[in-house]
Amino acid sequence: MYKKVTLISVLLLLPLLLFVGCKEEEAAEVETVSMEKPDFSGRTLSILVNDTHVQVVDAWKPLWERETGGKINVILVPYAGISDKLWIDFRTQTGAIDCAAIPSSWLGDMAGGGHVVEVDPLIEKWGYPDWDDALPAVKVITGWAGKTMAFPYDGDNHMTYYRKDALEVPEYQAKFKAKYGYDYHMPPKDWDEVRDIAEFFNGWDWDGDGEIEYGVSFIAQQKTQAMWEVLNLVAQYATIAGEPSNTTSNIFFNSDTMEPLVNTPGWIEAFRRIGELTQWAPPGLLGYGYSEFRYAYVSGNACLGFDWGDVGIMEQYPDEYGSEVKGLLGYGPLPGAKKYWDHVNNKWVEKEHQVNFLNFGGWVWIISKYSKNVDMSYHWITYITNPERSLLDACGIHGYTGVNPWRKSHFDPAVLGLWKRGGWDEGAAKGYAKGILDILTDPYAVTDLRIPGGERYYDALDMRLAEVLAGKSTAEKACQSLYDDWVKITDEYGKEDQKRYYLESLGL
Amino acid sequence: MILKPALRKELVKWGFLLPCLVFMMLMAVFPLGWSLSLSFTKWLGTIMAKPQWHGLNNFRDIIFSDPRFWADLGFTMRFVAMAVTLELGIGLGLAHLLHEPFRGYRFFRVLFLIPMACPPIAVAFIWKMMVHPDVGIINSMISAVGLAKVKWTTSTIVAPFTIVMVDVWEWTPFMFLALLAAYQALPEEVYQAAAIDGASKGQMFRRITLPLISPLILTIVLIRTIDAFKLFELVFGITSAGPANSTEALSYYIYLTGIKWFNLGKGAAMSWVFLIILLSISMFLLSRFRKRD
Repeated sequence: MYKKVTLISVLLLLPLLLFVGCKEEEAAEVETVSMEKPDFSGRTLSILVNDTHVQVVDAWKPLWERETGGKINVILVPYAGISDKLWIDFRTQTGAIDCAAIPSSWLGDMAGGGHVVEVDPLIEKWGYPDWDDALPAVKVITGWAGKTMAFPYDGDNHMTYYRKDALEVPEYQAKFKAKYGYDYHMPPKDWDEVRDIAEFFNGWDWDGDGEIEYGVSFIAQQKTQAMWEVLNLVAQYATIAGEPSNTTSNIFFNSDTMEPLVNTPGWIEAFRRIGELTQWAPPGLLGYGYSEFRYAYVSGNACLGFDWGDVGIMEQYPDEYGSEVKGLLGYGPLPGAKKYWDHVNNKWVEKEHQVNFLNFGGWVWIISKYSKNVDMSYHWITYITNPERSLLDACGIHGYTGVNPWRKSHFDPAVLGLWKRGGWDEGAAKGYAKGILDILTDPYAVTDLRIPGGERYYDALDMRLAEVLAGKSTAEKACQSLYDDWVKITDEYGKEDQKRYYLESLGL
Repeated sequence: MILKPALRKELVKWGFLLPCLVFMMLMAVFPLGWSLSLSFTKWLGTIMAKPQWHGLNNFRDIIFSDPRFWADLGFTMRFVAMAVTLELGIGLGLAHLLHEPFRGYRFFRVLFLIPMACPPIAVAFIWKMMVHPDVGIINSMISAVGLAKVKWTTSTIVAPFTIVMVDVWEWTPFMFLALLAAYQALPEEVYQAAAIDGASKGQMFRRITLPLISPLILTIVLIRTIDAFKLFELVFGITSAGPANSTEALSYYIYLTGIKWFNLGKGAAMSWVFLIILLSISMFLLSRFRKRD
């Protein structure tokens, strides 16, 4: 009996013994390889990208492979699959993914968790193609805790799109004035104007194409990127532009106490207004993820739209993306507001103002700490993001790549010819570039939430917003529930740690 | 060295058993034990390198302060009840109609099997496009005959039924196939005797067919119930749990917690609570069916 018990015990412990002695793999040493003309023959680089950025990879992969002798293994996933893949690789430390394009707002978890290679020593060692050419706002999002932890790749911010063939028609302008008693601006100056324009241009054929058009459209599907739409309004009603502090250019938490601001009247106003807008939107609005919205908007079904720069690119391609609005779109910054909530003094402040917001922050490239191909990763990333190549990805020559202009040189009038080759006419290219440049050069633009647990905070925001958009909850109730969610998440991650990270993310 | 016969017998026995035992340990027992031990820890995988002992806090949190868990369980249970009932009803009807040869019956049998043969995630994405409120083919057909478009995936009321509809489309063939096999194994003499006694078709179905196939019904209902509780792909592919979380299945929430947010301790605890609930429901169903027998 005793023997049997011993034998069974050994068998039970056997699987555990297999794990004894397993040691965490040390981070790969940075190899000394020449970056001038590297030879990566016989080696394979595994990169993780989503469905839009694969256009960039497809454009440069053959050239890079020919020049370096290395091979690229592309791991292609939808947006929703990027973090799953990366985290499993990080936790298992397999190094199956060498580098990846990720939203910069994830750096809180990924860099904060120590899973990515710090970039500064690599730049020092191998150099970087014109670091000063990157816009300051884009550099900010590559940093974490005072170190550069990612490579800039994309200048992301929401902007206003409007149909010139609606807003510029004198007859419609006169009718609008007769109904609402004022002249609207192009693009709309504040969210009151957005509301009225959306209502006015909803449900009739104002462009004469034989189809009904709608007033406004935006990303609204749950689990896509709808939360960044409501943050466009939150940025106007919950703060005012200024040097980042507790009261200026700050929308997420009270930076003194780490109390979420999400149940303050500024947030409630934003939720109420975006909920109201759904009645002047296309019937399938709640099924609009980023792709659905973009395709629908460039098909010409709505007057106003709020999105990253991708719509502008897709506008230029009637054949590839079914654009019916080439040359018909106007571009501008986000609408402002006539008031904002001062959360310290607990009062509304009546003031016409406008706040820029770096929604999403932009895509960045990271190198996994567990990669055995740091040198290859570095070469690949700097190869595709150098000024000349990145311009081709941003200006439309490579189509809808998900990359928006982010280098100063992308906005240089000297490269206008390349924008034209990307399908733009001169006026449209200038207007589009100015719209983006104004936001990316704004020193007071509100930065996105970049603390550990970012995905969880945003999942809760996404869920509560969806309740309002679907009419299942009021703005007040949704914001209170969101407050409870955020308090719980903050407590789970540790309030003091989160506060420290939040202050760092604000640059305080 | 000469071994004693008894020892030799023991060694041979354990020699044969050992590979299986090791395999079982690695594939079944170890993961279960590991996940159970994980459920008593706090492990935010994104920022914590190692788990910390957390006692029963994960379970307390799930049971007493996570309304989303219960809302998702509620949706999952409603989904299972609706989907399995419809699949059984339709599957039984089809088996009843098609168990006797008629012109073209082989074609229909093959046709009904196609949905089941499709990968669930492919089914989800195909249906996502078909039921798209703006550009989906189903709404195009509906509006072509002058009816209002249906908000298949954008209404909190309709979307749960859309998920049920797709599941019924996909899994009714399973019920049909199993019941068809049962129908074909029914003894002919019993029906002949009943016909001589003057039993109607309805009486034969109620008094003979159903009792004879009820053990199989119990089995397939249990299999489908357990499988339907694991609803994931359709939610992931068609609605992404929206709108307003109205189609968030419990397994999807567990995926978000454990895989998406890497809250491994709570994810493991949720899995165990789910497992216990699922086992309880299975036991309850089994006991009810046994009583009826």
